[in-house]
Amino acid sequence: MEPEKKADAPFNAKDLIKPKRFLGLHVDKQNIIKWFFGSNAGVTIVVLFLIMFFLAREGVGFLPTYQWELSVYRLAGLEFCDYVEKPISEQVAMHSKLKRALGAELNTVSKVDRDRRDAALLAKSRIEDKVTLQTEPLQEALKAKAPPEKTDPLRVALTQATTAAVSTATLPAIFTAEEQIQLKAELSALQPDQAELPPFLKSLMAKSAQKTSEAKLKYAALISTVDAFDDTAEKLTKVHSEIKKIALETKEAANQLHMAEDAKKQLLEAATTAKTEAEKQAFLKDAAATSLAAIDFKVRTQPLRDKLPELEKLIPEYITAIKKAAEGIPENAETPEARKLISQVRTQLPKHLSHVEQCTQLMRDWDYAKPVPITQSLTSFLFGGDWITNSSWQDFYGVVPLLTGSCLIALVAMLISMPFSVAAAIYTNQFASLREQDFIKPTIEFIQAIPSVVLGFIGISVLGDLIKSISLLPFLSWVPGFPVQERLNMFNAGLLLAFMAIPTMFSLAEDAINNVPRAFSEASEALGATKLQTVFKVIVPASVSGILAAMLLGLGRIIGETMVVLLVAGNRIAIPDFSDGIGTVFQPAHTLTGIIAQELGEVSRGSSHWQALFMVGILLFCISLIINFFARQVVKRFKFHKS
Amino acid sequence: MQTPAQDTATPGTNPFAKQKSHRETKESLIKWTLRSATYVILIITASIFTHIFIRGAPVVFSLTPPFINTSFLTKLPETLHVLEDKQGKKYETTPTGVDVIKKQLGDNLRNEKTISYSGGGILGPIVGTILLVGVCVVVALGLGIASAIYLSEYAKQGKFIEMARLAILNLSGVPSVVFGLFGLGMFVLSAPKITSHPLDRSLLAIPLGFGEYISFEGWDTSVLAGGFTLAFVILPVVITASEECLKAVPQGFRETSLALGATKWQTIWKCVLPFAMPGILTSSILGIARAAGETAPIMFTAALAFKDKLPWQGDTGIMGIFTQSVQALPYHIYTLSARIPQNEYSERAQYGSVFVFLVLVMSLAGASVILRRKLRAKYKW
Repeated sequence: MEPEKKADAPFNAKDLIKPKRFLGLHVDKQNIIKWFFGSNAGVTIVVLFLIMFFLAREGVGFLPTYQWELSVYRLAGLEFCDYVEKPISEQVAMHSKLKRALGAELNTVSKVDRDRRDAALLAKSRIEDKVTLQTEPLQEALKAKAPPEKTDPLRVALTQATTAAVSTATLPAIFTAEEQIQLKAELSALQPDQAELPPFLKSLMAKSAQKTSEAKLKYAALISTVDAFDDTAEKLTKVHSEIKKIALETKEAANQLHMAEDAKKQLLEAATTAKTEAEKQAFLKDAAATSLAAIDFKVRTQPLRDKLPELEKLIPEYITAIKKAAEGIPENAETPEARKLISQVRTQLPKHLSHVEQCTQLMRDWDYAKPVPITQSLTSFLFGGDWITNSSWQDFYGVVPLLTGSCLIALVAMLISMPFSVAAAIYTNQFASLREQDFIKPTIEFIQAIPSVVLGFIGISVLGDLIKSISLLPFLSWVPGFPVQERLNMFNAGLLLAFMAIPTMFSLAEDAINNVPRAFSEASEALGATKLQTVFKVIVPASVSGILAAMLLGLGRIIGETMVVLLVAGNRIAIPDFSDGIGTVFQPAHTLTGIIAQELGEVSRGSSHWQALFMVGILLFCISLIINFFARQVVKRFKFHKS
Repeated sequence: MQTPAQDTATPGTNPFAKQKSHRETKESLIKWTLRSATYVILIITASIFTHIFIRGAPVVFSLTPPFINTSFLTKLPETLHVLEDKQGKKYETTPTGVDVIKKQLGDNLRNEKTISYSGGGILGPIVGTILLVGVCVVVALGLGIASAIYLSEYAKQGKFIEMARLAILNLSGVPSVVFGLFGLGMFVLSAPKITSHPLDRSLLAIPLGFGEYISFEGWDTSVLAGGFTLAFVILPVVITASEECLKAVPQGFRETSLALGATKWQTIWKCVLPFAMPGILTSSILGIARAAGETAPIMFTAALAFKDKLPWQGDTGIMGIFTQSVQALPYHIYTLSARIPQNEYSERAQYGSVFVFLVLVMSLAGASVILRRKLRAKYKW
């Protein structure tokens, strides 16, 4: 420490400040803290990328896997068989429609008596159910051939129980009062060892049988038409099932080969990492033992091509047969249901015929060796109409049925939730008193905390039955789709999702309305506008983009919701039948989110099914990003509005 | 705010009252439409709650002392056996009680039914949910508050901050089932773990030198994996809420502290956080309520349909609690409502668990709302 020396050194102000050190390093402690917090803020970005990464890691493998599956589908000739399959399944669908139409026609004659018979039998079986406790000991006693003094008290007990059960039972109104009394008397006298039915029940049975045969006689022409329709495809179906068997065997062989290849690869890999020489030799030996005889698909598919001339001969035959059968379909039917079904068949028929004609050409052009491009696995995923898994024939991963289900449910939910949430937001912000506001806002926000699985449970336990019983009310029968067939359907799910989305949409819309500058409404009122005019002509237009953004974010919540749709939507994987018009929403469906939740737990890791589910996840992720993007764009416009 | 007082005047009560013009009638009509739409929402909410309370409360509470049906809350779920004798009397019993009753009845047994998951109580799912939420809270609050501090105290306008905000916004829109897939891919199958025997599927195994490896092989379906997944589901909510609370602390506090020579960190630690913390915690409770209610993210990462042991029963030690899968209330409700048929015996377990779950979640949400109100009254700057 020599002062002279220090004075000589050039003066530097920085030397006066103690260098910043932390844990012995030349770093500013404050900076470290800042970096720490900054890195935490970066976590959200990282997570977003990690989501993309992990979805892609598990999902992208789907494309080559599915490409391989599709190419086997072609190589093994399954595709060839499906060319025939399509018209056959169409024919089956049309036949079932005709059968339903026939049923409706037959009902005009036989329904009343059949219903009476069924109602009586139902009442009988219900009462028998109620008195099983008394019947069983009696039956045992009778079986054991017990003496009458033993069975008699049992009989008395049974009769008492039956009479009690009958007195509480209600019979439908299709029986007149006298008939009801008679029926009740007969029912209370029933004994388990009775050889014949009592006279009134017997007469009901006979009447019903008679009417059924009458109906059959009356509609004999239609019955023979339907039968003829059924017979048309018989030969075709036989050939089809023959070639199907061959194709499946080839596919099986291809799959075996694929597995053997995998096994060999693993063995060779194991051999390279084996610890001892002996182990290595064992692995190599095993690998060598795995036979990898290539499959000659040309030879294997030859029988299919050999069938082509036969099919070519059968198809024109089928066409003439079905044309002839179709001629027998009556122009007019008596019941509206039959009329509707028959007209559907009529409109389908020309399409069906053209499909049949195309199918010959398709079969001729079919080439087992034509390669399947990788883009095809993506397009058949995005635009494929079948989601079929664990099938013995061929698995298809087409997302369209799921997407339509998701979209229809979202549409229902949006149509219901939009008016309610916007009305509530306008009312709360503009008309409600302060005390009312204090009560409405927290309550609606409270809905947000109701777990979705609880709402799903409500849908299963209460709402499903409620919708079904409402749809049975006679004065509502004009509503399309009523009476509802399925308890769990898209409408049910949409209703619950609407309820779920209301808090999100409400609070964001309310915020948007609240953000409108006060000057707007003051100016409007100063010009003499009434409150309502101010609200609808000034405030709502000024906040419309904010409200729109709220609706979009609500849509995002609806599309992404899982548990409600999984529990309530009915889980039927099929593109809904749009011929019902608006009533389509009462059909069950499956959704993008629901399929992941339902199937992921049951598939093995890395299989094509697993990868397909991750692809669905990628699709959902993209949808959510797109919705968010649009919501942001809309909000940006809102900012411009304000200035 | 307007009052509807004038609307109620009828010609009968006041002969001098002005006749309502056409426009006024229209206005009040529209106003009442809006009002009824609002109240329809409230009525539906109320009816859902009353339905569940009426059906579910009797399972947990009883009218006779001790008023609480403790066995429902302190027992594990088990299969319910229903035996019926020839006199029509029904016995509901547990798997262990079946043989005893069968012996007693002897030949008198008429028929036997089993209903899965519907007997016993729901202690297992309650404990599981608490564990999951516990892990989730630690992770989400830690990450969330730290990012909020950066966003509100340190960040300057720039690329990074814009990206972070965009990420938060997008993250909040990602469907919960996608988070489930992410959790499965990341935490269940590839998160780092210290182990002495790395699995074959491990992405990367780094030897630590003393026989142990850091192996990227995932945590399997476990409380840890589920809790982390849930944490990322609620992270955007926590960040947004915390940032709001931090911004609500007046700028003057910070300026005063800095002017007195305090460092940035001292300012945050002593002058900002103490005032923002109560608000952050209360608004985070709402996020926690959401985490407790989520089902889809834990379906593949943590939850199990049935387990006959509590997490700490077994020989895995304290850490073992977090590395095993558990039952969780929301998943239990899903199992009860989707996997078993609806009948008179399953109803008790269904409505009972829905009731308990709803009370748990709603008390969290309610506490958050009430606390927030109190805080607003306390901190008024």
